[in-house]
Amino acid sequence: MGIIPIPLIIWLIEDLLYLIIFPGLVTILVIVIVIIWLERKIAAKVQMRFGPLWVSKKIGGALQSLADLLRYSFQEVIIPEKADKLAFILAPGLMFAFATIALIFIPVGPYYSVLFPSYYTILFSLALIIITPIFAITVGWASDNKFSFIGALREGFLLISYEVPFLLSVVSMIIIFRTYDYISAVQSQLSFLPGIILNPLAALTMLIVMIRTTGRFPFDITEADSELVLGLYTEYSALFFGVGMATPYVELYNFSLIFSLLFLGGWWPFTLNVMNPIYGLILPGIIVVIKAFIVMAILVFLRAVYPRYRLDQAVRSGWSYVLLLSVLSVILSVGEVVFLR
Amino acid sequence: MSEVRKPRDPVTGHVKALAKGFKYLVEPNRMTLDYPAETMKLPPNYRGFFTVDDKKCIGCSMCEMVCPPEAITMVPRIIGEGGKTIPAPEGEKEAKGPKRTKRPVVNWGKCIFCYFCVDVCPVDAFIPTQVHDLAFEKDSEYRPSYEEYLKPPEEPYKNAKKVVSKADLKRGVGYDPAP
Amino acid sequence: MNEKVYNIDDLQNINVDGEKYIILQIGPSHPGSGHMRIKVWLDGDIIVKVDPDIGFVHRTSEWLSERREWIKAVPIVERIMLPDTVHANLAYVLTVEKLLGIEPPPRAQYLRSLVAEINRITSHLYGIGIFGIFLGSSTVYMWAFGDREPFIDLMEMLTGARITTSYIIPGGVRWDLPNGFKERAETVLQYMERRLKDYEDIWVKNPVVQARTINVGTLKKEDAIALGVVGPNLRASGVYYDTRKHQPYAAYSNIDFEVPTMKNGDSYDRLLIRVEEIKQSIRMIRQILKDIPEGKIVADQIYNQLNPVMKKNYEEKKRVMFPAFMIHMRPPAGEAAAKVEAGRGEIFFYIKSTGDKYPYRFRWVTPSFRNLPYFTHVAVGHRLADLPTIYGSIDYFPPEADR
Repeated sequence: MGIIPIPLIIWLIEDLLYLIIFPGLVTILVIVIVIIWLERKIAAKVQMRFGPLWVSKKIGGALQSLADLLRYSFQEVIIPEKADKLAFILAPGLMFAFATIALIFIPVGPYYSVLFPSYYTILFSLALIIITPIFAITVGWASDNKFSFIGALREGFLLISYEVPFLLSVVSMIIIFRTYDYISAVQSQLSFLPGIILNPLAALTMLIVMIRTTGRFPFDITEADSELVLGLYTEYSALFFGVGMATPYVELYNFSLIFSLLFLGGWWPFTLNVMNPIYGLILPGIIVVIKAFIVMAILVFLRAVYPRYRLDQAVRSGWSYVLLLSVLSVILSVGEVVFLR
Repeated sequence: MSEVRKPRDPVTGHVKALAKGFKYLVEPNRMTLDYPAETMKLPPNYRGFFTVDDKKCIGCSMCEMVCPPEAITMVPRIIGEGGKTIPAPEGEKEAKGPKRTKRPVVNWGKCIFCYFCVDVCPVDAFIPTQVHDLAFEKDSEYRPSYEEYLKPPEEPYKNAKKVVSKADLKRGVGYDPAP
Repeated sequence: MNEKVYNIDDLQNINVDGEKYIILQIGPSHPGSGHMRIKVWLDGDIIVKVDPDIGFVHRTSEWLSERREWIKAVPIVERIMLPDTVHANLAYVLTVEKLLGIEPPPRAQYLRSLVAEINRITSHLYGIGIFGIFLGSSTVYMWAFGDREPFIDLMEMLTGARITTSYIIPGGVRWDLPNGFKERAETVLQYMERRLKDYEDIWVKNPVVQARTINVGTLKKEDAIALGVVGPNLRASGVYYDTRKHQPYAAYSNIDFEVPTMKNGDSYDRLLIRVEEIKQSIRMIRQILKDIPEGKIVADQIYNQLNPVMKKNYEEKKRVMFPAFMIHMRPPAGEAAAKVEAGRGEIFFYIKSTGDKYPYRFRWVTPSFRNLPYFTHVAVGHRLADLPTIYGSIDYFPPEADR
């Protein structure tokens, strides 16, 4: 027809691939399946046993999570009679969706999506990530179950107490890099030093917040099974449950990507800056995803070491040590900016 | 005991806990048996499924009397050639008359493997085995007939690698290939 | 601890819909309840009242035992106290022996103490493991249950069964020490000593565990005595009482051991006391294996009734078979009582005989049942998340309490 220019079509296809294949949905699925398997394997190794094995014995049971996903898919969907049905059905899906959409604004290479070109990617991604816990609270509310309700309340308490340190830790990096864009943040790290050296306090805060927000141990408080059965997801079954349980891992993936972009130098040591899908997206992307994967592996390892904190202890430390740490990180950033540059 | 209770300061505590976890992550220390690819050869006095020696048994019913869950029933039999028994005629409940005797049958659904019957037998007629991991598909298999009961229990997973457990300083339980 | 004081009488006015307090029914099918229901009234996150509802696994062990021959009660009492089988078995047999007037030979006494201490270690590991999973540490859960395994293998080697050993019979024990037992036991003990250090790093001295347990569920010494708490929980509150020391049975009067006690009586002390008792048990097993005397493993009254086949078996395989006396045992009329220090506390047995082939009255109190008042007394004022801590730290085992 000639009305739509050909470059635009290519861009659209590339964006679609960006969202669906890499580092979008398919990558998320693979990463989630692998990280769940890895989590179980790490725990099993520390606990002197095999872990998942017999589902696919030759590759160490790596298909176990896929088998579990299939099992969830074919389970009966049970919706409690007194549940708020619309919210009950929608909330897990929306939670998953928002966790996934946040990925649009997290570039994994200098060649970034043109569909949503922006100089404010950090802010947008943070905004979307912060939305997801609201649906977690909805999940707990909609189930009409006291255990879910208490789980939702705990989620709310923790959300509020860890949001501020999280934002402050990102703010301190924004101050250092003097940009709201991940790509420029990475570029300035490539030319100077990685963020974790520039501001280790912010990195530490960010790690603690990551553990908390994605419900890793020792902050596995909302799903504490000995107190709350399964917390938020007590009434869920089938695929809803599967989606609900996968969302923290998607969030973990998002957070780990952000962490590797802001603190680990992004696609360092790959420093070529070309606007080409292969050199601009795939190769640096793989580096970033591997870095994120390592961060994820370290965080899931904590399950093998820690029991969980109590709610009041977690909230108290959120408002004291972690907040203090994040404030200090901001001061450090300001100091660096003022004295070093 | 106050020195035991003394709390550790948080930084050392976290570092030590993480270091210990990491040590276990990288060191080979697996304690579990890859059952059923490997199965264990158990010590000779292990109390597994057991059967009875038809010739040795004298039909005294002591095992029936001592059985705590009342899993043993005595079935009437007739002593045939060579000391072996043949089934009593249909409908005969009591072992009365010439060459009549009784033999025990165990209901595996009730048996608790306490081996009181094996130990109380005055002629030591029971033949213990170490087979312990049998599964029954049907309810009727729990209650074998006397002829079925006489067959020695077959071990499942015949192709499995046989191992014997041993105490291991490093991983608690170690496994050696069975002799 | 919350400072607010709740008047329990006010609780009568609670709206049934939980308008004033949230009422949680924890159990009977709940990952943190065991085989019981704990009804909890919550004011926000603070526990106002706890009402443990027991009896879900009542198995009429007393009724069953009163309608069976004496020997048949051995497997029954074992199955009530699955982590503590040997102690239940021993307590029952001690009572019957008092009625019968049989005294087992010294070697049998030592063997009884040996299995009892092996069993105590497995029981404490069981408790530590369950405590671990209640606080969310799957590692400690798996470790503790894994480390029971070497000890259970020892029991299996000696008694022929892993858990439900039925090892102790009136007059003695059923099997003698097999060849190679001592060497294997020594390896296992060394392994356990090394592992206790690992437990210390990852569990006992883990800052998260200390934050969760210190000053949680504190029971003062006077309250512990008034409530009739037994076992490690009593000793954690600072009371020096152990049946093994104060009314020795089996070979305990010949064994040198300490009774560890703590001062504070909080959940952390209850955890520590179990670790300390494991250390003492290791010490005791070493002593028993060193000092064990030679001789018969069954009393002469039983041995003399064995027929030639059984005597041959005894000489060759060191295996005690049952004479017909075991079935037709009729202890003379009278009453007897015995106490045994099990892993979770003191078992008390009372049996009345009328000289019949069944016991006339069969009564026993299990330690978990006596530790139950803990909940109502201790949990009030704590947070909901402290309930599993308290539950796990007192090592409560519902099937044992329900009998």
